[in-house]
Amino acid sequence: MRRRVALLLVLVSSPAWADCPLDLGHGTGIVIYSDRYMLALRPDPLRIEVGQPFSLIMNVCTKGGEPAELVRVDATMPEHKHGMNYAPTVKAGSDGRYRVDGLLFHMPGSWEVAFDVRPLGQAGGEIQRLTHDFVLK
Amino acid sequence: MLLAGGLARAEAALDWTAEQVRAVAAHGPWPPSPVSDPSNRVSGDAAAIALGRHLFDEPRLSGGGQMSCGTCHQAGRDWRDGRARALGLVELDRRTPSLWNVGHQHWFGWDGAADSLWMQSLRPILDPKEMAGSAAAVATLLREDERLACGYARAFGETPGADDEKLLVDAAKALAAFQQTLVTPRTAFDRFRDALVAGDRAGMQRYPASAQRGLKIFIGLGNCASCHFGPQFSNGEFGDTGVAFFVRRGEVDSGRHGGIARLKASPFNRLGRHSDDASGGSATRTRHVEAQHRNFGEFRVPGLRQVGRTGPYMHDGSLATLEDVVKHYSTVSPDRLHSDGTPLVRPLALSEPESADLVAFLRTLDAETPKLAPAPPLCP
Repeated sequence: MRRRVALLLVLVSSPAWADCPLDLGHGTGIVIYSDRYMLALRPDPLRIEVGQPFSLIMNVCTKGGEPAELVRVDATMPEHKHGMNYAPTVKAGSDGRYRVDGLLFHMPGSWEVAFDVRPLGQAGGEIQRLTHDFVLK
Repeated sequence: MLLAGGLARAEAALDWTAEQVRAVAAHGPWPPSPVSDPSNRVSGDAAAIALGRHLFDEPRLSGGGQMSCGTCHQAGRDWRDGRARALGLVELDRRTPSLWNVGHQHWFGWDGAADSLWMQSLRPILDPKEMAGSAAAVATLLREDERLACGYARAFGETPGADDEKLLVDAAKALAAFQQTLVTPRTAFDRFRDALVAGDRAGMQRYPASAQRGLKIFIGLGNCASCHFGPQFSNGEFGDTGVAFFVRRGEVDSGRHGGIARLKASPFNRLGRHSDDASGGSATRTRHVEAQHRNFGEFRVPGLRQVGRTGPYMHDGSLATLEDVVKHYSTVSPDRLHSDGTPLVRPLALSEPESADLVAFLRTLDAETPKLAPAPPLCP
Protein backbone atom coordinates (compact mmCIF):
# COMPACT_ATOMS: atom_id res chain seq x y z
CA MET A 1 0.00 0.00 0.00
CA ARG A 2 2.83 2.33 0.91
CA ARG A 3 4.50 1.62 -2.44
CA ARG A 4 1.28 2.37 -4.31
CA VAL A 5 0.92 5.74 -2.59
CA ALA A 6 4.52 6.61 -3.40
CA LEU A 7 4.03 5.71 -7.04
CA LEU A 8 0.86 7.76 -7.21
CA LEU A 9 2.70 10.78 -5.84
CA VAL A 10 5.37 10.43 -8.49
CA LEU A 11 2.74 10.29 -11.21
CA VAL A 12 0.98 13.36 -9.93
CA SER A 13 4.12 15.40 -9.42
CA SER A 14 5.76 14.57 -12.73
CA PRO A 15 5.26 17.24 -15.41
CA ALA A 16 5.17 14.54 -18.05
CA TRP A 17 2.23 12.70 -16.58
CA ALA A 18 0.20 15.69 -15.68
CA ASP A 19 -2.52 16.94 -17.95
CA CYS A 20 -1.00 19.29 -20.43
CA PRO A 21 -3.42 22.18 -20.87
CA LEU A 22 -2.21 24.90 -23.18
CA ASP A 23 -4.39 27.42 -21.39
CA LEU A 24 -2.44 28.68 -18.38
CA GLY A 25 -5.19 30.97 -17.18
CA HIS A 26 -5.70 34.71 -17.48
CA GLY A 27 -6.59 34.12 -21.16
CA THR A 28 -3.27 35.46 -22.38
CA GLY A 29 -1.08 32.40 -22.79
CA ILE A 30 1.23 32.03 -25.76
CA VAL A 31 1.51 28.68 -27.55
CA ILE A 32 4.50 27.75 -29.69
CA TYR A 33 5.11 24.40 -31.33
CA SER A 34 7.34 22.26 -33.50
CA ASP A 35 6.72 18.92 -35.22
CA ARG A 36 6.99 17.19 -31.88
CA TYR A 37 6.56 19.66 -29.00
CA MET A 38 3.96 22.16 -27.89
CA LEU A 39 4.84 24.78 -25.28
CA ALA A 40 2.39 27.04 -23.49
CA LEU A 41 3.77 30.05 -21.66
CA ARG A 42 2.47 32.99 -19.69
CA PRO A 43 4.59 35.88 -18.36
CA ASP A 44 4.36 36.76 -14.68
CA PRO A 45 3.63 39.64 -14.39
CA LEU A 46 1.56 39.54 -17.57
CA ARG A 47 3.04 42.77 -18.93
CA ILE A 48 6.78 42.60 -19.57
CA GLU A 49 8.48 45.96 -18.96
CA VAL A 50 11.94 47.03 -20.10
CA GLY A 51 14.39 46.65 -17.21
CA GLN A 52 11.99 44.76 -14.94
CA PRO A 53 12.47 41.10 -13.93
CA PHE A 54 9.74 38.67 -14.93
CA SER A 55 9.03 34.95 -14.88
CA LEU A 56 7.40 32.53 -17.30
CA ILE A 57 4.86 29.92 -16.26
CA MET A 58 5.01 27.04 -18.76
CA ASN A 59 3.58 23.72 -19.76
CA VAL A 60 5.59 21.39 -21.99
CA CYS A 61 3.63 18.92 -24.11
CA THR A 62 4.25 16.62 -27.04
CA LYS A 63 1.87 16.02 -29.89
CA GLY A 64 2.14 12.27 -29.34
CA GLY A 65 1.55 12.52 -25.61
CA GLU A 66 5.04 11.33 -24.64
CA PRO A 67 6.47 12.96 -21.51
CA ALA A 68 8.88 15.82 -22.08
CA GLU A 69 10.82 18.31 -20.02
CA LEU A 70 12.04 21.89 -20.23
CA VAL A 71 15.83 21.95 -19.89
CA ARG A 72 16.91 25.54 -20.42
CA VAL A 73 15.61 29.00 -21.31
CA ASP A 74 17.63 31.96 -22.56
CA ALA A 75 17.04 35.13 -24.56
CA THR A 76 18.99 37.25 -27.02
CA MET A 77 18.53 40.35 -29.14
CA PRO A 78 19.32 38.98 -32.62
CA GLU A 79 19.80 42.47 -34.05
CA HIS A 80 22.56 43.32 -31.59
CA LYS A 81 23.77 39.77 -30.95
CA HIS A 82 23.77 40.10 -27.20
CA GLY A 83 21.88 38.24 -24.53
CA MET A 84 20.45 39.11 -21.17
CA ASN A 85 22.57 40.20 -18.22
CA TYR A 86 20.90 37.53 -16.10
CA ALA A 87 20.86 33.72 -16.06
CA PRO A 88 17.31 32.38 -15.70
CA THR A 89 16.53 29.25 -13.72
CA VAL A 90 14.03 26.53 -14.64
CA LYS A 91 12.07 24.82 -11.90
CA ALA A 92 9.47 22.08 -12.29
CA GLY A 93 6.48 22.56 -10.02
CA SER A 94 4.36 19.93 -8.35
CA ASP A 95 1.43 21.01 -10.53
CA GLY A 96 3.20 19.83 -13.66
CA ARG A 97 4.06 23.32 -14.76
CA TYR A 98 7.47 24.90 -15.05
CA ARG A 99 8.48 28.26 -13.64
CA VAL A 100 11.32 30.16 -15.28
CA ASP A 101 12.67 32.93 -13.01
CA GLY A 102 15.25 35.64 -13.54
CA LEU A 103 14.37 36.89 -17.02
CA LEU A 104 14.97 40.59 -17.69
CA PHE A 105 14.93 42.41 -21.04
CA HIS A 106 17.11 45.47 -20.53
CA MET A 107 16.35 47.21 -23.82
CA PRO A 108 13.36 47.93 -26.01
CA GLY A 109 13.32 46.01 -29.29
CA SER A 110 12.98 42.41 -30.41
CA TRP A 111 14.04 39.66 -28.00
CA GLU A 112 14.20 36.02 -29.10
CA VAL A 113 13.55 33.59 -26.26
CA ALA A 114 14.89 30.07 -26.80
CA PHE A 115 13.36 27.04 -25.05
CA ASP A 116 15.36 23.81 -24.99
CA VAL A 117 13.20 20.70 -24.48
CA ARG A 118 13.82 16.96 -24.61
CA PRO A 119 12.11 13.68 -23.74
CA LEU A 120 11.60 13.40 -19.99
CA GLY A 121 14.35 11.75 -18.00
CA GLN A 122 16.70 11.28 -20.94
CA ALA A 123 19.75 13.26 -19.91
CA GLY A 124 21.43 12.40 -23.20
CA GLY A 125 18.27 12.72 -25.23
CA GLU A 126 18.04 14.94 -28.26
CA ILE A 127 17.38 18.53 -27.31
CA GLN A 128 15.12 20.52 -29.56
CA ARG A 129 15.06 24.31 -29.46
CA LEU A 130 11.85 26.26 -29.92
CA THR A 131 11.85 30.06 -30.03
CA HIS A 132 9.45 32.92 -29.59
CA ASP A 133 9.95 36.63 -30.25
CA PHE A 134 8.88 39.29 -27.79
CA VAL A 135 8.89 42.89 -29.01
CA LEU A 136 9.19 45.58 -26.33
CA LYS A 137 8.49 49.22 -27.13
CA MET B 1 6.84 84.84 -32.46
CA LEU B 2 8.24 86.64 -29.42
CA LEU B 3 5.71 87.66 -26.82
CA ALA B 4 6.40 90.53 -24.46
CA GLY B 5 5.97 90.56 -20.69
CA GLY B 6 7.90 87.40 -19.87
CA LEU B 7 5.48 85.04 -21.58
CA ALA B 8 6.90 81.90 -23.11
CA ARG B 9 7.88 82.18 -26.74
CA ALA B 10 5.62 80.18 -29.02
CA GLU B 11 7.54 77.67 -31.10
CA ALA B 12 6.44 75.60 -34.04
CA ALA B 13 5.21 72.19 -32.90
CA LEU B 14 6.72 69.53 -35.13
CA ASP B 15 4.64 66.66 -36.43
CA TRP B 16 5.00 63.43 -34.46
CA THR B 17 4.05 59.94 -35.61
CA ALA B 18 2.17 57.59 -33.31
CA GLU B 19 5.38 55.56 -32.92
CA GLN B 20 7.32 58.67 -31.87
CA VAL B 21 4.60 59.69 -29.40
CA ARG B 22 4.80 56.24 -27.83
CA ALA B 23 8.60 56.50 -27.59
CA VAL B 24 8.43 59.94 -25.95
CA ALA B 25 5.63 58.86 -23.61
CA ALA B 26 7.91 56.10 -22.25
CA HIS B 27 10.07 58.84 -20.68
CA GLY B 28 7.36 59.79 -18.21
CA PRO B 29 5.30 60.52 -16.30
CA TRP B 30 7.32 62.55 -13.82
CA PRO B 31 7.70 62.67 -10.87
CA PRO B 32 7.55 58.94 -10.12
CA SER B 33 5.82 57.41 -7.12
CA PRO B 34 7.94 57.52 -3.95
CA VAL B 35 10.29 54.58 -3.83
CA SER B 36 10.36 52.01 -1.03
CA ASP B 37 13.12 49.42 -0.65
CA PRO B 38 11.91 46.16 0.97
CA SER B 39 15.50 45.34 1.99
CA ASN B 40 15.62 48.50 4.12
CA ARG B 41 13.11 48.46 6.98
CA VAL B 42 13.43 52.23 7.51
CA SER B 43 13.01 53.17 3.85
CA GLY B 44 10.58 56.10 3.71
CA ASP B 45 10.55 56.56 7.50
CA ALA B 46 10.68 60.22 8.55
CA ALA B 47 12.90 59.63 11.60
CA ALA B 48 15.34 57.57 9.52
CA ILE B 49 15.41 60.24 6.82
CA ALA B 50 16.29 62.82 9.49
CA LEU B 51 19.03 60.60 10.92
CA GLY B 52 20.38 59.95 7.43
CA ARG B 53 20.43 63.65 6.68
CA HIS B 54 22.57 64.29 9.78
CA LEU B 55 24.86 61.34 9.07
CA PHE B 56 25.32 62.47 5.47
CA ASP B 57 27.27 65.51 6.65
CA GLU B 58 28.93 63.76 9.59
CA PRO B 59 32.75 63.76 9.19
CA ARG B 60 33.18 61.42 12.16
CA LEU B 61 32.06 58.57 9.87
CA SER B 62 35.49 58.83 8.27
CA GLY B 63 38.69 57.48 9.71
CA GLY B 64 40.38 60.86 9.88
CA GLY B 65 37.26 62.74 10.97
CA GLN B 66 37.55 65.13 8.04
CA MET B 67 35.39 63.68 5.29
CA SER B 68 31.67 63.01 5.04
CA CYS B 69 29.38 61.80 2.25
CA GLY B 70 28.65 65.46 1.60
CA THR B 71 32.31 66.23 0.94
CA CYS B 72 31.94 64.72 -2.54
CA HIS B 73 28.14 64.71 -2.94
CA GLN B 74 27.60 68.42 -2.34
CA ALA B 75 24.02 69.65 -1.94
CA GLY B 76 24.76 72.98 -3.62
CA ARG B 77 26.38 71.29 -6.61
CA ASP B 78 23.64 68.86 -7.58
CA TRP B 79 25.01 66.25 -5.17
CA ARG B 80 28.34 65.79 -6.92
CA ASP B 81 31.68 67.59 -6.74
CA GLY B 82 32.15 68.72 -10.34
CA ARG B 83 35.59 67.12 -10.56
CA ALA B 84 36.62 64.83 -13.43
CA ARG B 85 37.81 62.27 -10.92
CA ALA B 86 36.61 61.99 -7.34
CA LEU B 87 38.96 62.96 -4.54
CA GLY B 88 38.89 60.78 -1.45
CA LEU B 89 42.07 60.42 0.58
CA VAL B 90 43.62 59.99 -2.86
CA GLU B 91 42.37 60.76 -6.35
CA LEU B 92 40.14 57.96 -7.63
CA ASP B 93 39.68 56.56 -11.15
CA ARG B 94 36.02 57.48 -11.56
CA ARG B 95 34.00 60.63 -11.11
CA THR B 96 31.51 61.35 -8.33
CA PRO B 97 28.01 60.71 -9.72
CA SER B 98 25.14 63.00 -8.81
CA LEU B 99 22.69 61.55 -6.30
CA TRP B 100 19.58 62.95 -7.95
CA ASN B 101 16.94 60.21 -8.30
CA VAL B 102 19.42 57.64 -6.95
CA GLY B 103 16.67 55.87 -5.01
CA HIS B 104 15.13 54.71 -8.28
CA GLN B 105 18.22 52.79 -9.41
CA HIS B 106 18.61 49.02 -9.13
CA TRP B 107 22.40 48.93 -9.30
CA PHE B 108 24.74 51.40 -7.59
CA GLY B 109 28.22 52.63 -8.32
CA TRP B 110 29.59 52.88 -11.86
CA ASP B 111 30.23 49.12 -11.84
CA GLY B 112 27.04 48.11 -10.02
CA ALA B 113 28.97 46.44 -7.22
CA ALA B 114 26.12 47.31 -4.86
CA ASP B 115 22.55 46.07 -5.25
CA SER B 116 20.95 48.46 -2.77
CA LEU B 117 21.41 52.07 -1.85
CA TRP B 118 22.31 51.12 1.71
CA MET B 119 24.97 48.69 0.50
CA GLN B 120 26.38 51.43 -1.71
CA SER B 121 26.27 53.93 1.17
CA LEU B 122 28.56 51.92 3.39
CA ARG B 123 31.14 51.23 0.67
CA PRO B 124 32.88 54.67 0.72
CA ILE B 125 32.79 54.70 4.53
CA LEU B 126 34.90 51.54 4.61
CA ASP B 127 37.05 52.16 1.51
CA PRO B 128 40.60 53.02 2.62
CA LYS B 129 40.94 55.29 -0.43
CA GLU B 130 37.80 57.24 0.44
CA MET B 131 36.55 57.79 4.00
CA ALA B 132 38.67 55.03 5.54
CA GLY B 133 36.22 54.45 8.37
CA SER B 134 35.30 51.25 10.17
CA ALA B 135 32.27 49.45 11.53
CA ALA B 136 33.64 49.80 15.04
CA ALA B 137 34.09 53.56 14.75
CA VAL B 138 30.62 54.11 13.27
CA ALA B 139 29.05 51.91 15.95
CA THR B 140 30.89 53.73 18.71
CA LEU B 141 29.72 57.06 17.31
CA LEU B 142 26.08 55.92 17.28
CA ARG B 143 26.35 54.54 20.79
CA GLU B 144 28.25 57.41 22.41
CA ASP B 145 26.99 60.56 20.69
CA GLU B 146 23.85 61.43 22.65
CA ARG B 147 22.16 63.22 19.75
CA LEU B 148 22.85 60.48 17.20
CA ALA B 149 21.93 57.73 19.68
CA CYS B 150 18.59 59.45 20.23
CA GLY B 151 18.07 59.79 16.46
CA TYR B 152 18.92 56.11 16.04
CA ALA B 153 16.41 55.10 18.70
CA ARG B 154 13.66 57.13 17.03
CA ALA B 155 14.46 55.64 13.61
CA PHE B 156 15.00 52.01 14.56
CA GLY B 157 12.88 51.70 17.73
CA GLU B 158 15.76 50.52 19.91
CA THR B 159 18.92 51.93 21.43
CA PRO B 160 22.16 51.22 19.57
CA GLY B 161 23.25 47.68 20.49
CA ALA B 162 26.53 45.83 20.70
CA ASP B 163 26.71 44.48 17.13
CA ASP B 164 29.09 46.85 15.31
CA GLU B 165 28.35 45.50 11.85
CA LYS B 166 24.59 45.81 12.37
CA LEU B 167 25.01 49.44 13.48
CA LEU B 168 27.16 50.20 10.44
CA VAL B 169 24.45 48.74 8.18
CA ASP B 170 21.72 50.64 10.03
CA ALA B 171 23.66 53.88 9.57
CA ALA B 172 23.84 53.07 5.86
CA LYS B 173 20.10 52.32 5.78
CA ALA B 174 19.38 55.74 7.33
CA LEU B 175 21.71 57.33 4.77
CA ALA B 176 19.80 55.50 2.03
CA ALA B 177 16.44 56.64 3.40
CA PHE B 178 17.64 60.25 3.14
CA GLN B 179 19.06 59.84 -0.37
CA GLN B 180 15.79 58.30 -1.59
CA THR B 181 14.18 61.71 -1.05
CA LEU B 182 16.44 63.40 -3.64
CA VAL B 183 14.07 63.58 -6.60
CA THR B 184 14.36 66.18 -9.33
CA PRO B 185 11.44 68.50 -10.13
CA ARG B 186 9.48 68.48 -13.39
CA THR B 187 11.23 69.92 -16.40
CA ALA B 188 10.39 71.60 -19.69
CA PHE B 189 10.66 68.16 -21.28
CA ASP B 190 8.05 66.72 -18.89
CA ARG B 191 5.60 69.48 -19.76
CA PHE B 192 6.18 68.84 -23.47
CA ARG B 193 5.85 65.08 -23.03
CA ASP B 194 2.53 65.44 -21.22
CA ALA B 195 1.24 67.91 -23.85
CA LEU B 196 2.30 65.58 -26.66
CA VAL B 197 0.57 62.59 -25.07
CA ALA B 198 -2.57 64.68 -24.48
CA GLY B 199 -2.53 66.12 -28.01
CA ASP B 200 -2.26 69.62 -26.51
CA ARG B 201 -0.71 71.51 -29.42
CA ALA B 202 -0.58 74.82 -27.55
CA GLY B 203 1.34 73.13 -24.76
CA MET B 204 3.70 71.54 -27.27
CA GLN B 205 4.45 74.94 -28.78
CA ARG B 206 6.01 76.11 -25.51
CA TYR B 207 8.86 73.65 -26.07
CA PRO B 208 11.71 74.97 -28.22
CA ALA B 209 11.77 73.67 -31.80
CA SER B 210 15.48 72.86 -31.48
CA ALA B 211 14.74 70.65 -28.46
CA GLN B 212 11.94 68.92 -30.39
CA ARG B 213 14.37 68.18 -33.22
CA GLY B 214 16.95 66.97 -30.72
CA LEU B 215 14.37 64.72 -29.05
CA LYS B 216 13.60 63.15 -32.42
CA ILE B 217 17.31 62.37 -32.83
CA PHE B 218 17.41 60.98 -29.26
CA ILE B 219 14.59 58.47 -29.88
CA GLY B 220 15.44 57.86 -33.55
CA LEU B 221 18.70 58.25 -35.44
CA GLY B 222 20.78 58.53 -32.28
CA ASN B 223 19.40 55.30 -30.77
CA CYS B 224 20.08 56.95 -27.38
CA ALA B 225 16.79 55.72 -25.89
CA SER B 226 17.81 52.06 -26.18
CA CYS B 227 19.94 52.54 -23.08
CA HIS B 228 18.69 55.89 -21.76
CA PHE B 229 15.19 54.45 -21.48
CA GLY B 230 12.20 55.32 -19.33
CA PRO B 231 11.36 58.18 -16.97
CA GLN B 232 14.87 58.16 -15.44
CA PHE B 233 16.45 58.09 -18.92
CA SER B 234 18.31 54.92 -17.94
CA ASN B 235 17.49 51.25 -18.40
CA GLY B 236 19.32 50.66 -15.12
CA GLU B 237 21.93 48.41 -16.71
CA PHE B 238 25.42 48.72 -18.17
CA GLY B 239 27.05 49.47 -21.48
CA ASP B 240 30.35 49.97 -23.24
CA THR B 241 30.44 53.56 -24.45
CA GLY B 242 33.78 53.40 -26.21
CA VAL B 243 35.70 55.24 -23.49
CA ALA B 244 39.25 53.98 -23.02
CA PHE B 245 39.67 51.10 -20.54
CA PHE B 246 43.09 52.20 -19.37
CA VAL B 247 43.25 54.24 -16.19
CA ARG B 248 47.06 54.22 -16.08
CA ARG B 249 49.74 52.66 -18.20
CA GLY B 250 49.18 48.91 -18.08
CA GLU B 251 46.15 49.15 -15.78
CA VAL B 252 42.51 48.88 -16.83
CA ASP B 253 39.17 49.53 -15.15
CA SER B 254 37.21 46.31 -15.63
CA GLY B 255 33.90 48.06 -14.89
CA ARG B 256 30.84 45.83 -14.59
CA HIS B 257 32.87 42.62 -14.78
CA GLY B 258 34.69 43.43 -11.55
CA GLY B 259 31.52 44.93 -10.07
CA ILE B 260 29.64 41.64 -10.32
CA ALA B 261 32.53 39.79 -8.66
CA ARG B 262 32.57 42.29 -5.78
CA LEU B 263 28.78 42.13 -5.46
CA LYS B 264 28.76 38.34 -5.17
CA ALA B 265 31.62 38.30 -2.66
CA SER B 266 30.10 40.90 -0.35
CA PRO B 267 28.27 39.97 2.86
CA PHE B 268 26.21 43.15 2.44
CA ASN B 269 24.30 42.21 -0.73
CA ARG B 270 20.57 41.52 -0.76
CA LEU B 271 21.14 37.79 -0.30
CA GLY B 272 22.95 38.34 2.98
CA ARG B 273 21.79 38.54 6.59
CA HIS B 274 21.43 42.33 6.61
CA SER B 275 18.59 42.47 4.09
CA ASP B 276 15.21 43.14 5.70
CA ASP B 277 13.31 41.57 2.79
CA ALA B 278 12.23 38.23 4.25
CA SER B 279 10.51 37.26 0.98
CA GLY B 280 13.72 37.66 -1.01
CA GLY B 281 11.61 39.09 -3.79
CA SER B 282 13.73 42.20 -4.17
CA ALA B 283 16.89 40.09 -4.63
CA THR B 284 15.90 38.67 -8.04
CA ARG B 285 18.52 40.65 -9.93
CA THR B 286 21.24 39.69 -7.45
CA ARG B 287 20.28 36.03 -7.54
CA HIS B 288 20.36 35.82 -11.33
CA VAL B 289 23.02 38.29 -12.44
CA GLU B 290 25.87 36.55 -14.21
CA ALA B 291 29.25 37.93 -15.27
CA GLN B 292 29.92 37.65 -18.99
CA HIS B 293 32.96 38.50 -21.02
CA ARG B 294 31.22 41.47 -22.61
CA ASN B 295 30.75 43.06 -19.16
CA PHE B 296 34.43 43.96 -19.24
CA GLY B 297 34.62 47.74 -19.61
CA GLU B 298 30.88 48.25 -19.24
CA PHE B 299 29.66 50.97 -16.89
CA ARG B 300 26.26 51.91 -15.50
CA VAL B 301 23.98 53.82 -17.85
CA PRO B 302 23.41 57.06 -15.93
CA GLY B 303 20.03 58.77 -15.80
CA LEU B 304 19.95 62.03 -17.73
CA ARG B 305 17.79 64.22 -15.53
CA GLN B 306 19.86 67.30 -14.55
CA VAL B 307 22.46 66.16 -17.09
CA GLY B 308 23.30 69.71 -18.21
CA ARG B 309 24.17 70.64 -14.62
CA THR B 310 26.15 67.56 -13.62
CA GLY B 311 29.23 67.42 -15.81
CA PRO B 312 31.93 66.42 -16.45
CA TYR B 313 30.72 63.26 -18.15
CA MET B 314 31.29 59.52 -18.61
CA HIS B 315 32.35 57.30 -15.72
CA ASP B 316 35.85 58.71 -15.71
CA GLY B 317 34.94 62.37 -16.22
CA SER B 318 36.92 62.38 -19.45
CA LEU B 319 34.47 64.61 -21.35
CA ALA B 320 33.98 68.15 -20.04
CA THR B 321 30.77 69.30 -21.72
CA LEU B 322 27.56 67.97 -23.23
CA GLU B 323 28.87 69.11 -26.60
CA ASP B 324 31.91 66.88 -26.04
CA VAL B 325 29.64 63.92 -25.26
CA VAL B 326 27.60 64.40 -28.43
CA LYS B 327 30.83 64.71 -30.42
CA HIS B 328 32.10 61.48 -28.81
CA TYR B 329 29.02 59.54 -29.94
CA SER B 330 29.22 61.21 -33.33
CA THR B 331 32.78 60.06 -33.95
CA VAL B 332 33.30 56.97 -31.73
CA SER B 333 35.42 54.28 -33.36
CA PRO B 334 33.44 51.13 -34.29
CA ASP B 335 36.68 49.12 -34.10
CA ARG B 336 36.96 49.91 -30.41
CA LEU B 337 33.49 48.56 -29.65
CA HIS B 338 33.90 45.01 -31.05
CA SER B 339 30.21 44.42 -31.78
CA ASP B 340 29.21 41.32 -33.75
CA GLY B 341 25.73 42.56 -34.56
CA THR B 342 24.25 46.00 -35.23
CA PRO B 343 26.20 48.00 -32.68
CA LEU B 344 24.25 49.90 -30.04
CA VAL B 345 26.93 52.57 -30.04
CA ARG B 346 28.10 53.58 -33.48
CA PRO B 347 29.43 56.82 -34.97
CA LEU B 348 26.35 58.95 -35.50
CA ALA B 349 28.09 61.43 -37.81
CA LEU B 350 25.74 64.20 -36.71
CA SER B 351 25.95 67.55 -38.46
CA GLU B 352 26.65 70.65 -36.39
CA PRO B 353 22.97 71.72 -36.37
CA GLU B 354 21.91 68.19 -35.39
CA SER B 355 24.47 68.11 -32.58
CA ALA B 356 23.24 71.49 -31.34
CA ASP B 357 19.63 70.24 -31.40
CA LEU B 358 20.54 67.13 -29.41
CA VAL B 359 22.28 69.27 -26.79
CA ALA B 360 19.28 71.64 -26.73
CA PHE B 361 17.03 68.68 -25.96
CA LEU B 362 19.32 67.36 -23.23
CA ARG B 363 19.33 70.75 -21.53
CA THR B 364 15.53 70.60 -21.24
CA LEU B 365 16.03 67.71 -18.80
CA ASP B 366 17.41 70.22 -16.30
CA ALA B 367 15.31 71.91 -13.64
CA GLU B 368 15.99 74.51 -10.99
CA THR B 369 15.93 72.67 -7.69
CA PRO B 370 14.64 74.11 -4.42
CA LYS B 371 17.21 74.98 -1.80
CA LEU B 372 17.67 72.16 0.68
CA ALA B 373 15.83 72.94 3.91
CA PRO B 374 17.88 72.86 7.12
CA ALA B 375 18.16 69.42 8.68
CA PRO B 376 15.40 68.80 11.22
CA PRO B 377 16.56 68.27 14.80
CA LEU B 378 17.10 64.63 15.66
CA CYS B 379 15.43 64.81 19.05
CA PRO B 380 13.46 68.00 19.53
